[in-house]
Amino acid sequence: MSSSNVWSRSRARMRLFPELLAQCSGEAAAYGKCVASTTTGKQELTKNMCVKEFEALKSCFQSAAKKGVK
Amino acid sequence: MSLSVKSPRSLRCLWRGWRGLSSQGGVMNVFDRSMKRRQKQWASSLLDSDKYDYLRDEVGSRLADRVYDVSRSLPDIVERLFLTDISDSSLRNRKKCEMPTQCVLADEEFLPFKENTFDLCAVLSHNINNTKYPVVVVQIHQVLKPDGVFIGAMVGGETLYELRCSLQLAELEREGGFAPHISPYTAVTDLGNLLGRAGFNMLTVDIDEVQVHYPGMLEVMRDLQGMGESNCAWNRKSLLHRDTILAAAAIYKEMYGNEDGSVPATFQILYMIGWKPHESQAKPAKRGSANVSFADLSKISKFPTDPQKS
Repeated sequence: MSSSNVWSRSRARMRLFPELLAQCSGEAAAYGKCVASTTTGKQELTKNMCVKEFEALKSCFQSAAKKGVK
Repeated sequence: MSLSVKSPRSLRCLWRGWRGLSSQGGVMNVFDRSMKRRQKQWASSLLDSDKYDYLRDEVGSRLADRVYDVSRSLPDIVERLFLTDISDSSLRNRKKCEMPTQCVLADEEFLPFKENTFDLCAVLSHNINNTKYPVVVVQIHQVLKPDGVFIGAMVGGETLYELRCSLQLAELEREGGFAPHISPYTAVTDLGNLLGRAGFNMLTVDIDEVQVHYPGMLEVMRDLQGMGESNCAWNRKSLLHRDTILAAAAIYKEMYGNEDGSVPATFQILYMIGWKPHESQAKPAKRGSANVSFADLSKISKFPTDPQKS
């Protein structure tokens, strides 16, 4: 496809996702551990239970995206 | 598959890579058939569409092994092979084969063949959309000749459980609730019922697990899309939030990841073999006709006495 439309642009953005996530592996692991611990514990997983870890992951991800992956 | 010329009888085969489902009275209409056809057309129109064929090739080769294992004296010449599919571009993309092949664009629920036409029907439905299986199996039973064999492969209950759980947990944590993103699958226990109700005899069902390792969750999803296996259930959510994708990818890696950083995706494949009834097939023995007892099992290790010993 030679034309650039919203689908090809959004697919191109999604292709960068794994590399950006790789730069935040620490925050991702912390968030994953927080959620995984609720599956074994007594309390059920509710909304925003791990919001602190998620916000850290999200801000790391966004700053990695701003720096740009060239 | 190379075949040797042995018997003059010919074998007519129906090989189906069927996808998609349609509505029928009395059965739940879970999937959007036209969407599935569009997904298949899109997938086969990709330039690198054969990159996504690895799972289908693997399951197909295991299915072909089972065709070889069928020990009945099936004729050795394949007279005609019929390939059917719901999407015409995937039929056009098929590999060349030395058997005379005919391609039929068909809906699996209304097979356009007369009754008693086929000796062997092999169905590779590695796609995830299979709630209409009862209807399909009845159709296949009709088009098979008596003593014809049906060999099928489909994805079973534990397929993609890692993806399903990660998405569920992420949506629960981020959004407070979750919607189904992965289609429901058939459990292996239901398969026996299904085939028996359709009228097949001498059933054999077995399970195989194929685990594929990917760099991350997004690659899993991209490959599923490339295979044409994206969700097409009517109740699918049309969007997945960015935050949820991020959360799910982190959870997937943490809960299921391997040491080298890759993540596994499990495909549980159920294989089944069923025969259309015929007088030559073994029947269950009549009640009361047993002439050995289970109590004699302990005597099996002893040598049997030779009646001709003099």
